[in-house]
Amino acid sequence: MSEVLEELRKSILEYDADRAEEYALRSIEEKVDPLKSFEAMTKAINEIGEGFKKGERWLPDLVGGADAMLRAAPIIEREIKKRGVKRQSLGVVVAGTVFGDIHSIGKTMVCALLSAEGFEVHDIGINVRADEYIRAIDENGAEILVLSALMTTTAPEMHKVIAFLVEKGLRDRVKVMVGGGAITEGFAKNIGADGYDPTAPGAVKVARSLVGR
Amino acid sequence: MTRGFRRRFRPLELLSEEQCNEVHHGMLEVLEKTGVLVDHERALDLFRDKGCRVDFDNKRVRMPSYIVEEALQKAPAVFTVRARDGKDDIVIGGDTVYFTLFPGMDTVDLDTWEPRSPTLREHNEYIALSDALPNCHFLACYPYFGYKGVPEVLKILEGIAVKLRNTTMVQTCCYSHGCERFTVRMVEAIEGMEAMGATHSAPPLSFSREMVDTYFTYLEADFPLWIGGGPVLGGTTPVTIAGSMVVSNAEMVAAVVLSELIRPGARVMVHDYALPINMRTGSPDFGAIEAVMHQAVFNQTWRRYGIPAVSTNAGPVSSKKIDFQCGYEKAFAAFSAAISGVNVIQFSGGLYGELAAHPLQAILDDDIAGMVGRYLEGVSVNADTMALDLIEDVGPIPGNYVGRAHTREWWQREFFTPKAADRLPLPEWLKTGKKDCLDYARERLEELLSTHKPKRLADEQEEKIEGIMREAREYYRKKGLIGDSEWKEYMAIIESDEYPYSR
Ligand code: B12
Repeated sequence: MSEVLEELRKSILEYDADRAEEYALRSIEEKVDPLKSFEAMTKAINEIGEGFKKGERWLPDLVGGADAMLRAAPIIEREIKKRGVKRQSLGVVVAGTVFGDIHSIGKTMVCALLSAEGFEVHDIGINVRADEYIRAIDENGAEILVLSALMTTTAPEMHKVIAFLVEKGLRDRVKVMVGGGAITEGFAKNIGADGYDPTAPGAVKVARSLVGR
Repeated sequence: MTRGFRRRFRPLELLSEEQCNEVHHGMLEVLEKTGVLVDHERALDLFRDKGCRVDFDNKRVRMPSYIVEEALQKAPAVFTVRARDGKDDIVIGGDTVYFTLFPGMDTVDLDTWEPRSPTLREHNEYIALSDALPNCHFLACYPYFGYKGVPEVLKILEGIAVKLRNTTMVQTCCYSHGCERFTVRMVEAIEGMEAMGATHSAPPLSFSREMVDTYFTYLEADFPLWIGGGPVLGGTTPVTIAGSMVVSNAEMVAAVVLSELIRPGARVMVHDYALPINMRTGSPDFGAIEAVMHQAVFNQTWRRYGIPAVSTNAGPVSSKKIDFQCGYEKAFAAFSAAISGVNVIQFSGGLYGELAAHPLQAILDDDIAGMVGRYLEGVSVNADTMALDLIEDVGPIPGNYVGRAHTREWWQREFFTPKAADRLPLPEWLKTGKKDCLDYARERLEELLSTHKPKRLADEQEEKIEGIMREAREYYRKKGLIGDSEWKEYMAIIESDEYPYSR
């Protein structure tokens, strides 16, 4: 492996976003194949994910690694687009906490784990209105929508988002996963969601099964 | 007036004077440099008019320290909240310590330990029980979050009505979907009575629009405020206790500044509810010792500001059952908060992480509160309690103190007797069915519910409350926030004999 790739991998393994960015830029200067760069980063983030599962790494490692990757990824992605090649991600995800709800910790974890697994994740934050989800799905060509709600008073908002997807003719294009403290399996079924899990690691399994990869 | 407990000794101080100053200056620096996000035009205008630096584009308010100090001065150190019945008035502040019921959302099934929505009867009974418990002095938000069959948007309001009907104690009103407009009217409908309004910050360093609305609504109606945060160490604040303290104090102080701008002299108390994040699951670790320490430091700093401090950490636990872990998590937190200078402990009945509460737990907690209260009242040392004459009179063996007048006179003042603890000698325990504290709690629950009848609302008060509830139901129904089938189920309850009192 070239030195740049090795440094890129290491910067993520060491949760160093500044260095990840630096080596992403350097990789382009040095004309390294961007697909290879992505592969190196994914390898690192997978390693962190594995460590987390085994109890050798912890939540701050996971989120720190994902943050470092998120800083470098757009730089490499731009280069991939420029060269007109295709990157293999597990799938494009749009995620957010529903309107009226500002709880963010669980949703951030789910996003970090999905990125670590190899999904391309667009976290659009908290207090997200139905039309904002739709816009993000359109803009990013998302296949999976992750909805999080922590309150029984905001859980019904998920129903609205799904109804809105139907109205906009997008329901068949995206799989909808729901979760968060206020959500139960029964509720998820009732509102016609495609997937649910009570945990963030479980969310990854659900996402994989939804895209069949 | 409800006396509560009195702390008779100097509170425990975890920080040195110097450390306390550092945390204070850190807080001032954060408010001046980083500031807070306030998503509310009217509030931003208020801050600007007062002399704060307001960045309207980013909704950021930065506060010079003189404005902060002035607001802290304005808030009263001690204040009264009037109850429906004068005997239940509370005077918050100073060395008084009160215990409240803890706001668990649901009840739990004692066989499966799974939370479930309580029935109207269970809700009524729980509040009636709290009215009977000697060491429950007033009520926090919820419990429960309404009852089964009530649409989401009305759960807070129906819960407030349940509390009005089943206890004469002061209660605290939470908010959702702008229900404060009805809450305020319900409270005002009962002449002379007050309630506390719950308001919050959103860590880190933010105030959402709905939250700020509640500050205005409650303060304009002259409600005293119960202000809370909910920082997660390593999640929404620095992972260190000192760093987290700076952020949570900055939020609470900003909330006090806002309150005193809206209504100078506003009665406010602030709560600490800081929990370490679990580095595997991301959930807050309820009952953690770091939360207990955070609270102690919080109490120390707010005593310095002369504003009453509330503990929330002692109410919820990580355990899902009423068990050993639940017991030690609660006892540790309540005891430490009490001896480090807190004024209110939000406590009884709470089980896992605010999600559940149970009357049996409330009965067991009432004993913890009683023990803590006994400790707070301290040791009285005088000629009477030292009893030198008596000691001389009794002398060595075969003398004893059991039948002496001094013993009869003093023992009930000196000893706290828990109501649901097993304190039998082994042979008697073996012979009487090997009962444990949960068995005793069950018996006590039955006994209290059958003997204690809380004072109901007078007919014309009841009419007013029900009138406002009817209006609220129509209002949310018209807004489209209650579906047809939900409405049907709801109405079936409202029209049943169970409503509103269940008996
Ligand atoms: C921390 C906290 C806060 C913090 C949030 C800080 C932040 N930046 O996130 C603050 C203080 C801001 C807060 C505010 C409020 N809160 Co709050 N909060 C909590 C608390 C204590 C923990 C929540 C949490 O972070 N859990 C840990 C995370 C990791 O769990 P999680 O999000 O569920 O995620 C896990 C899984 O669900 C899953 N997951 C998450 N998303 C998804 C998505 C998918 C697709 C999948 C598959 C899985 C998945 O993965 C995660 C890891 O396994 C809970 C109590 C509790 N026991 O949960 C109350 C709680 C959720 N809050 C509650 C309330 C009422 C509020 C307030 C309204 C209070 C108020 N009146 O101001 C405000 C809300 C304002 C608003 N409009 O949103 C209530 C909700 C009650 C209800 N009606 O349901 C709770 C239950 C407490 C209570 N009983 O009162 N809160």
